[in-house]
Amino acid sequence: MAKLATLRGLIQELRYAVPNATLKDNLAFQYIMKQYRKYNTTDQQLCKAQEEMNYIANTYLCYLRSSRLSQEIHDEFHGKGERTVQETAQMVGFKLPHDPK
Amino acid sequence: MLNSFTKIFNKSLNLPCTPLKLARNFATPTRFYKNTSILKSEGKYEITLDQRKLKTPNGTPFYVENEPLALAVASEWNAQKNKIIQSKMHITTLCNTVLDNPNKLTKLDIVNYIVNYLDTDTILYQANEDEDLMKFQMAEWDPVIEWFNKRFNVKLKKSIQMDVSPISEEDKTIITKHLMSHNFATVNGFMYGVDTLKSVILTLAATEKFLTPEKAVLLSRLEEEYQSGRWGRVEWAHDLNQLELQTRFSSVILFVYYNSQSYMVREKNILG
Repeated sequence: MAKLATLRGLIQELRYAVPNATLKDNLAFQYIMKQYRKYNTTDQQLCKAQEEMNYIANTYLCYLRSSRLSQEIHDEFHGKGERTVQETAQMVGFKLPHDPK
Repeated sequence: MLNSFTKIFNKSLNLPCTPLKLARNFATPTRFYKNTSILKSEGKYEITLDQRKLKTPNGTPFYVENEPLALAVASEWNAQKNKIIQSKMHITTLCNTVLDNPNKLTKLDIVNYIVNYLDTDTILYQANEDEDLMKFQMAEWDPVIEWFNKRFNVKLKKSIQMDVSPISEEDKTIITKHLMSHNFATVNGFMYGVDTLKSVILTLAATEKFLTPEKAVLLSRLEEEYQSGRWGRVEWAHDLNQLELQTRFSSVILFVYYNSQSYMVREKNILG
């Protein structure tokens, strides 16, 4: 179940990251799906490949999610320069002399 | 006022009288491409932005040696909205650093840097002023040190008094040997990870999959976490710091993994 959650998370993050809505033609999406299908079927593998893929998938999810969220915080709090007189007035609930009452 | 200052300043240097330019304009290019894709040629993967090929800052063609890394780079470029913000594209940056090698470092230089960093490794120095914090550190950091000692067959000891250097020369030789067995790109990744977490032990523990990147970042900022649990958490400082470290560090893990993967994963022949 945890693996499915990771895959869902990855797809969700790709949706956020990719500007146009369709993921079908997205190469990264196709690659991830291919890997998931491949490692789903090789249960005879002696090495820890499946576990390893899960670790890497989670790492990529962490990468995508953290970079999106940090960008969001940055956008919210980063200074956008000085406010105009009108914006400042609005903040404290005043109106400028020429504004309608 | 500024203008008169400029005049005087320029006169003293015998320069023509132009206004002194105070602020440098850092150009952030707008996105000029629609699609990103990858190209495979001669076993190397290149990135294309529409028809153009991606280049490194030095102007040489950009390439990586395996598909998933190329796709991750292409996705990074695809994820840019209106402006291309290169400082947030960590996987691209790592690949660029390896290709251009701007500081002209050799593998040995980097390995020496990392091994010397062990002397000041974050998790080897535990604070003894605050008992609660100390308990946390012992519970969280000690198992990682123990794992490290076992994995590399070394004898690192934590220090509470800041009196002794916890690393012996033999141990340094062992770690040097281990690091030298990786390729140049991987070692570059290690360096970036060490600079991010301020800890060689945590970096190696995560690249060996003993810790997840989230956990490694959490352990590296254990004291910050402890203090903010006590005094309150501020989104634009603590959360931002945590997320940025996570972004950096997970990019390191991916980069290291895909650069050292070729001899780690053997595919099973399904038909055979």
